Amino acid sequence: MTPRNLLSAALAAVLLSAPPALALDAAGMTKLLQEIDDRQRNGGDYKSLLYLEQKEKDKADTVREALIYRRDADDKLMILFTKPKGEAGKGYLRLDKNLWSYDPNVGKWERRTERERIAGTDSRRADFDESRLAEEYVPTYEGEEGLGKFKVHKLALKARPGIDVAYPVIKLWVDKDTDNILKRQEFALSGRLMRTLYYPKWQKLFSESKGTDVWYPQEIRIYDEVEKANSTIVLIKSVDLRSLEANIFTKAWLESKSR
Amino acid sequence: MITLKLLLQVAFRNLFKSWVNLIIGGVIFFATFLVVTGGALLDSIDSSMSRSIIGSIAGHLQVYSDKSKEELALFGAMGGETDIAALDSFAPIKAALEKHPNVQTVVPMGTSGALITSGNTVDLTLARLRALYRKNTAEGETAERRGQIDSLKQHVRQLAELLQSELATRRELIREDQVDPADAAALERARSEAFWADFDKDPLGSLEFLENQLAPQVADGDLLYIRYVGTDLASFQKTFDRMQIVDGEAVPPGKRGMLLSKFFYEEFLKLKSARRMDLIKEARDMNKKTIALDPLLQRYVKETSTQTREIVFQLDPIKTKQATARLQDILKSQETDLSRLLSSFLTVNDENFDLRYKQFYEQLVPLLDLYRIKLGDKLTITAFSRTGYVQSVSVPIYGTYQFSGLEKSPLAGAVNLMDLVSFRELYGYLTEEAKAEIAQLKQKSGAAEVKREDAEEALFGEESSPTLVAEATPGLINDDEQVSANTAALRSEDMLKRVYSQKELEDGMVLSAAIILKDPEELNATLAELARTQELKDLKLRVVSWQQAVGIIGQFVLMMKMVLWGVIVILFVVVLAIINNAVMMATLQRVREVGTMRAIGAQRSFILSMILLETVVLGLAFGGLGAGAGSALISWLGNVGIPAGTEELYFFFSGPRLLPTLGANNLITAFALVVGVSLFSTLYPAFLATRVSPVTAMQTDE
Repeated sequence: MTPRNLLSAALAAVLLSAPPALALDAAGMTKLLQEIDDRQRNGGDYKSLLYLEQKEKDKADTVREALIYRRDADDKLMILFTKPKGEAGKGYLRLDKNLWSYDPNVGKWERRTERERIAGTDSRRADFDESRLAEEYVPTYEGEEGLGKFKVHKLALKARPGIDVAYPVIKLWVDKDTDNILKRQEFALSGRLMRTLYYPKWQKLFSESKGTDVWYPQEIRIYDEVEKANSTIVLIKSVDLRSLEANIFTKAWLESKSR
Repeated sequence: MITLKLLLQVAFRNLFKSWVNLIIGGVIFFATFLVVTGGALLDSIDSSMSRSIIGSIAGHLQVYSDKSKEELALFGAMGGETDIAALDSFAPIKAALEKHPNVQTVVPMGTSGALITSGNTVDLTLARLRALYRKNTAEGETAERRGQIDSLKQHVRQLAELLQSELATRRELIREDQVDPADAAALERARSEAFWADFDKDPLGSLEFLENQLAPQVADGDLLYIRYVGTDLASFQKTFDRMQIVDGEAVPPGKRGMLLSKFFYEEFLKLKSARRMDLIKEARDMNKKTIALDPLLQRYVKETSTQTREIVFQLDPIKTKQATARLQDILKSQETDLSRLLSSFLTVNDENFDLRYKQFYEQLVPLLDLYRIKLGDKLTITAFSRTGYVQSVSVPIYGTYQFSGLEKSPLAGAVNLMDLVSFRELYGYLTEEAKAEIAQLKQKSGAAEVKREDAEEALFGEESSPTLVAEATPGLINDDEQVSANTAALRSEDMLKRVYSQKELEDGMVLSAAIILKDPEELNATLAELARTQELKDLKLRVVSWQQAVGIIGQFVLMMKMVLWGVIVILFVVVLAIINNAVMMATLQRVREVGTMRAIGAQRSFILSMILLETVVLGLAFGGLGAGAGSALISWLGNVGIPAGTEELYFFFSGPRLLPTLGANNLITAFALVVGVSLFSTLYPAFLATRVSPVTAMQTDE
């Protein structure tokens, strides 16, 4: 082989093996995750009204309405079910690393895990809470794909050690144009696919306390990959960013709602 | 007649003449013995098991919905409860069944199960403290309540100290950096003087700190599966004669409440060390086992002496002092650490066990909560109901009960009894009003269903919305509008006080109904008649016998019988071959004798009868001996009993020992079989003997 041929071969090898120009490097991915987290976070308090519908095999659909309260600065979250009547007053409260569940019918608090199926649906606590992807996971890039008519980045995320999350491995399909998550798959440690989630609609709302927009998925569709017949629809009906009562994230407050 | 007499004489004369006959006799003896004893044992198991199953939960017959996807299994099936469709109302079923002249009583039923969770020791203590503060806010403080609060606070402080010493031990075992600094800081605060001095300035805030920061550091909370049968408790108790209240009292008629099975209460809710002490005592007293020789008992001793935490954590400072003093006294020791004292006190051996057992119950138990749930307390059960909504109910525990004869059976012992109203609530049954509310919410939401298969295409395909992001209209959510006045807590208090009328109990949903018959002998006929009734067909009911209703257990005896008969059939084929060969040989030995008989005028039929009759006599004689030996064995066992060595046997024996009895049918079957098989196997040799010609016989050498 002549030196000239050798040079062109080397050049070709370099060119062919070079990553596609649009791929994300580690810094780029972290930046993307931080942006996703940051957009959904509010500087002050957050309250939303949501609709939750669960479909299960051989059962009639169950529906619920709930209020979500968040104070992102303190990592606090409360879910208070309001409808139907039988569910009203039940709720969840996340304080520090504890997820408490409350049932006014028996007046008892019980500590639950991250894997708790919220009210027996396919949703988990993290679906309603502030997004903490950058903090909880380490990303790797899996390439660029098409999802329907959208071009997306595909990312694989692995939970950082010592952090308690419902699923240790997740995959994200992030819209290249708007940087919104469109699809998410979650895996158990064994590699088994557990849930697939779709986020077809995103909304943004100006927050005075944050000084910019707060984003939220208006619709989440969750498909259970273990019990294939089960699925959940989450609709965020409205979001209210006014500040909440100071003592709202306490057991006493939630208890008072059913007295 | 004379011929018969002659034949009998010949037969008896030949009985012990040939060693071949002894072989045949031995085989017959063994076969008869097996048929008699095996048959009698299985029949006894069958009858005692059927009596206890019928008298405990199944009744003679059960009815359940014909729309059910699976078969009824009252004692549960592999992998939990079977899928039984609900029957809307018990009243019409009862009315229809009671029309049959042989039906005595009909009892409503439903079996289900749920997981009950329990927080750890700190959680439970803090929950009690929170309840007291809640009461203080509602009713004002009393001196008594203040006393209880102070004692519980002392207890929590003590727990924090225990955690600290555990943490110190743990630090020796694991690396320092694996201890979360936040946990350590929280523990430090919970042990500080300042925290407890300021506790009452903000009791709820202080409680939340402990609940969220201290309690998660203890990991002794647990999860327990509880099976329950919802029924009309008053009617159940009247109908099922095997059920006996052990402790506490029956649930008053029409009230909500539960009776826990004594077995379940002891096995799962008792202090584990106490339970293990009981088991050691039982094994020593009843089964004559020794700690020195039995590995299981050695394991119990080891577990009891090392797992002292559950006792230490239960005691507040005053009780800790008392327990320490008592143990120092018993052990004549100067040790001050309760955990070490307990450990050496509970390291028992065969010599000191009886004394230690007595001391344990007399000195330590009065300081402890022996059971996680005391009689009179409320048990909170949370179940995923049929409707998909999670339902929690707090049911008062009135007492414990057992089914006599099934006291030790884990299967029967897993059944706890619950009132029908609580059962229905946990099962989940939507009223028309609730259904309408759900339908309205669903319609208002405007959520369209998207099938999993085409979700991506529908949500992101060409047809989907071109924009992903929209500006939201700022919404103002009025909480008070959303949270409708909810008085759930009050309602549940009210419901516990309420007395439900018989009509309310009978008008509601059930899963099955037990039928007790006036004449149990007519079980199969009644079953067939009921199954044919048009009314039951209209109600879409399936009628089954108790054997079918209890699932695989009911089939156990049938299975065992099939195994026994399998063995008997194989055995008799072998017997047939042996007898056949042996009689052949015997016949060949007697060619001269037969030939001589033929020469002096004996007809062929005489020869045939002679040989057949010989076998019959042989069969009757040795069969009689076998049956006699079998009967003797059964009657001896009937006096001393066969001990139920394992818990499974306890269930099948319906008690600690089986006292088998012999039925005439066992003897008749055995004789008929033996004589039949012997005759059949002799037919061919006997036929050959008739073919012997006198001339050939005479020419045969000696």
